[in-house]
Amino acid sequence: MGKGEFILKRIVQLLLTYWVILTVLFFLFRLGLPDPTAALVVEGLSAEEQAMVQARFGLDQPLWVQYFIYLRNFLQGDFGVSFHYKAAVFPILMEKFLNTIVLMLPAILISYTIGPVLGVILSWKRGTRIEFSGIVSGLFLRSAPVFWTGMIFIMVFGIWWGVLPTSGMRTVPYDADNFLTKIFTLDYLWHLILPALTIALYYLGLPMLIMRNTMLEVMGEDYIELCQAKGLSPRTIMFKHAARNALLPVVTQAAITVGMAVGGQVVVEVVYSWPGLGREMIQAVRTSDYPMAQASFMLMAGMVLLMNFLADMVYGYLDPRVVTKGEGR
Amino acid sequence: MSTNVEKHKRQGNLWQRRKKQLRPFLESVFLPIKTIWSDPLGRPGAVIFGLILLMTIFAPLLATHDPNVMNEKVEGIVIRFGDSQWDTPSQVGDTPLNALAWVDETNALAVGTAGSILHMSDRDRWVTVDSPTEHNLWAVDASSPGFAIAVGEHGTILQYDGTEWNQVETPTNVHFYGVAVASAQKALVVGQSGTVLSWDGQFWTALATNNSNTLRSVSLTSEEAGVIVGDRGTILHYENGSFSGPTYRGFTDATFRRLNAVQLYSADIGFAIGERGTIMGYDGQNWYTMRSPESRELRGVTFVSADQAYIVGIRGIVLEYQGNQWEVLRLGYRRDFRGISGIDGQALAFGTDPYINELAPPSREHFFGTTHLGRDIWSQVMYGSRTALLVGILAALVVNILGLTVGLVAGYYRGRVDNILMRIVDVMYGLPLEPFAIILVLIFKPSLWIIILAIGLLTWRTNARIIRSQVLTIVERPFIKAAKVAGASNIRIMLVHIAPNILPLAFLQLAVAMGYAITAEATLSFLGLGPPQVYSWGTILHAARLSGAWRTAWWWVIPPGIFICITVVSVFLVSRSLEVLTNPRLRGGNNRAPRRP
Repeated sequence: MGKGEFILKRIVQLLLTYWVILTVLFFLFRLGLPDPTAALVVEGLSAEEQAMVQARFGLDQPLWVQYFIYLRNFLQGDFGVSFHYKAAVFPILMEKFLNTIVLMLPAILISYTIGPVLGVILSWKRGTRIEFSGIVSGLFLRSAPVFWTGMIFIMVFGIWWGVLPTSGMRTVPYDADNFLTKIFTLDYLWHLILPALTIALYYLGLPMLIMRNTMLEVMGEDYIELCQAKGLSPRTIMFKHAARNALLPVVTQAAITVGMAVGGQVVVEVVYSWPGLGREMIQAVRTSDYPMAQASFMLMAGMVLLMNFLADMVYGYLDPRVVTKGEGR
Repeated sequence: MSTNVEKHKRQGNLWQRRKKQLRPFLESVFLPIKTIWSDPLGRPGAVIFGLILLMTIFAPLLATHDPNVMNEKVEGIVIRFGDSQWDTPSQVGDTPLNALAWVDETNALAVGTAGSILHMSDRDRWVTVDSPTEHNLWAVDASSPGFAIAVGEHGTILQYDGTEWNQVETPTNVHFYGVAVASAQKALVVGQSGTVLSWDGQFWTALATNNSNTLRSVSLTSEEAGVIVGDRGTILHYENGSFSGPTYRGFTDATFRRLNAVQLYSADIGFAIGERGTIMGYDGQNWYTMRSPESRELRGVTFVSADQAYIVGIRGIVLEYQGNQWEVLRLGYRRDFRGISGIDGQALAFGTDPYINELAPPSREHFFGTTHLGRDIWSQVMYGSRTALLVGILAALVVNILGLTVGLVAGYYRGRVDNILMRIVDVMYGLPLEPFAIILVLIFKPSLWIIILAIGLLTWRTNARIIRSQVLTIVERPFIKAAKVAGASNIRIMLVHIAPNILPLAFLQLAVAMGYAITAEATLSFLGLGPPQVYSWGTILHAARLSGAWRTAWWWVIPPGIFICITVVSVFLVSRSLEVLTNPRLRGGNNRAPRRP
């Protein structure tokens, strides 16, 4: 199987999967919620207006027609109008999405830089007290609920010591013409510290433990013995020769983590009142803002699929055996 | 004949054959347990998890309180006023103090609920003394260190002779609420139904008042003159054994309110106070309404000098009078006072009514403190462990059964079946858990089943993949081919020959899924997606966040999180030790982990 064929097959698979998810989402919403405009009626729409809205969503049509309207709207990038904001969903969603990205990327960057280094050190100190305590603290970091560490951080740094801001992206009021002027400030970085640290600590354990495990495997390979025979220092062997080859699973895990993080850290955004995608979704559920909830989920699922796809591609690039082995079984 | 014997023999061996088939299953179940126990990290993990499991089973026994009850606290509190300033509250005894009387400038007597009597000496040394009664005592007064009277419910009158308290026979069974002692030869006791008893040094005699209201308080200026107040605005002037009504100066709307206390400093100055912030003044001839800065109930009034007086009331009200009007003092104390009693230049305010023990820090009574509603956090955490483990175990079972079935079928049949099942797994990988659960809650109602369903539906994907790849390698082994050649059915091969071999792996996945499910449950509950009437570690934290009190009440935030951590870590440790079973490369040279069959 060639490289191009491999990528093409994956893309087709990706699109099919996404289509299935959209379909499931559609029927899930229709199942629990036969008439999404019911929420609007309370606000005093007249019968004609209601009929107009229903026609817009195609609710007067049979289910399968509604389904095709739903797919058509999705392809045209029309995600409807938010009940809560009384404005188009898409621009609002993009803003929240970017807010989430600028929180998650720095956090993941931190944990995937420090984590592997710690992992190498753990494998180096195999069988010592350092390795033991490293593994245990890694497990603790993974199992401490991230919203809880967030609350503790707020309590300690925000309330007791009062040194760091604990909510929002910027000190209000602030004026920013666009997204870039909003985040290229010290104030933003200042607000970023606590939430990013919380997430980074949570994500730190996984790359550390993965790195340790693969390092232990790699250290058994012949070429490491050769390096030792050459008289290279353990530090050089560890970081230059072994770590490079052990990085592969960490890199793919990083890509998957980014995909999951877009939707996966709802709680951190809630705890720190970060105006991101996850918090928006919770708000949409609280206010019964169905178009917003539905579109947020579409975006999150899309990101997960895309990043999983990227992880596959990266893996295929770094370890070409995957591409050819794929068809073997 | 021979066929018959053979048939018989076959039947007889049926159980043995079943046993033979069961053996690998049993081995597969015991193998992981042995493995966990032999691992240095797995053993503490298993022990901790066992303890948590015991905790969930015995939660009702371990819980010291009903987690839903708003816990009240009862204690006797005094706040001293002296040298022109107020001290901080200090606790004296475990029962509320109902009344307090000064004997001289350093000694006082206090009575309270359930007949409790306390003596104060040297200004702040309190001693509980023996009491001859169990009834609530409502008033006490003393004329000298050697003579005091306390009165209470059911006609209780106690006399103090300087060494001990003695109960006095009384002609009535009504509740007494007030007493004033002018000397050892003169005292008045007032109570329900307009009852007034007079003490003449030897006998108690009832005085006719022509009033049927409950009388609450009495104050004497001399042996033969004083004022009694009570319900429905009752004010009675006492003079030489007879009673007369009050006269009012100007309009008063307080005549029908309950008056709780009266205090005369001299024959021509005094105050009476009562419910709805009522303050009445007395100028020697007339009563008049004073402007009150409070609208809630006032409970006690006392003078510390001719032009300085204090009033206390419910919710920590303290009012100060400095010659012309009443002003609010803020002592930062919010509980209900029962009264105040003063003597030249100093006073003691006392109480208190039972209060909701809200946001109490950890103590022997409440191990993890209380919430903003006075609920016991320790008990909530104990009950919360049930939800965590219930959801953890059920979700892990759902995950495992789904994953095992899909993985087994996909790995065994391969080809088209495998392809379809694995594409379904791909779809599952596209669904982020928390958002999916949020959508489910939006569409359905919050409940534990939605949480279990969400976790179960979304996390079997990893299991299915891992089991499938394991099955793929097992299918290639000779004994499977042999079974096929021998004509065993597909179901039989899957259940009898393959399943035992993947059970250790399934066991590992069970542990992994459980840790994941416990975290997920806590997260979803924290977001408020769990059922509100069920306690879980997540909902406790959700409630803490919702109340806003979590920013200071660390005892509310830390325990649930610690328990989540410990539980998940113990499960992680167990699952980590099980990895040895499935990944032989992790086995060290001297590892005693048993070999797989």
